[in-house]
Amino acid sequence: MEVPAAEPSDETLAARAAAGDDSAFEAIVERYQARVFRLACRLTSDTEAPDVLQDTFLQVYRHLSTFRGDSQFGTWLYRIATNAALMHRRATSRRPSDSLEVYMPQFDADGRHAATPAELQVASCADEMIDRQVLAKKARDVVARLPDLYREAFVLRDLEEMSTAHVAQALGIEPATVRQRVHRARLMLRGYLGELAGAKP
Amino acid sequence: MNHIACETGVDLLMDFLEGVLPAEVNAALETHVAGCERCTAFVASYQATPRIMREATASTLPPDVEASLRAFLRERTTAFNKP
Repeated sequence: MEVPAAEPSDETLAARAAAGDDSAFEAIVERYQARVFRLACRLTSDTEAPDVLQDTFLQVYRHLSTFRGDSQFGTWLYRIATNAALMHRRATSRRPSDSLEVYMPQFDADGRHAATPAELQVASCADEMIDRQVLAKKARDVVARLPDLYREAFVLRDLEEMSTAHVAQALGIEPATVRQRVHRARLMLRGYLGELAGAKP
Repeated sequence: MNHIACETGVDLLMDFLEGVLPAEVNAALETHVAGCERCTAFVASYQATPRIMREATASTLPPDVEASLRAFLRERTTAFNKP
């Protein structure tokens, strides 16, 4: 019986690719292309994502020799992809980001929630109450409306499910800053989902 | 810190869920949420938000985009040049 060879680690592939082994670089592309594309869609749009995908792997190819292994390879690659997405957003002048502040939770003078428990709960069932395709479109649009700093942190932390520590490394900011930005994004998006599903924030 | 308002609880929620709050603040928040119907509902929806957004924004790599990536890298690098 043949024992399947273990998959080489990212770091092994990166070292081989940096030394000029094209098949190792191709394996990296194979391993990460779907994830980078998904990330690019979330950070930019479906139409811009193919360009971001190409830019990302070209940058990876060119800068492999600078990967030092002081962060995980995936974190390093996500940092490149996030920067590529940001450059792209800057290059294609954006619609002005309108404020999502209206979706923040509201409190009375004593600091109590202004909404009722039923109203506060409703965002939890947004995916059951809204048609899947409609929700997919709305969700993409509202993520695009987040301020850039919040979007990056939220997409990496909550949509790509990276740890807060890895997001901090990928974005070059403190973990406390990641938590603050993700928190603000969650509050806005929670209020937005609630309103879509028919409640006050 | 014995008593906190909903608003303070909301401010601390992310830090609470990540387990980075001091023990006594953590305990005060737990006590508040357990006794507050509104906060219980709020926390549930706050925790559901990432999952709902993740599922709604999932996408797969279309074959033509993958083919374009290969062609692009073949042109710009020495990779993907073997038949």
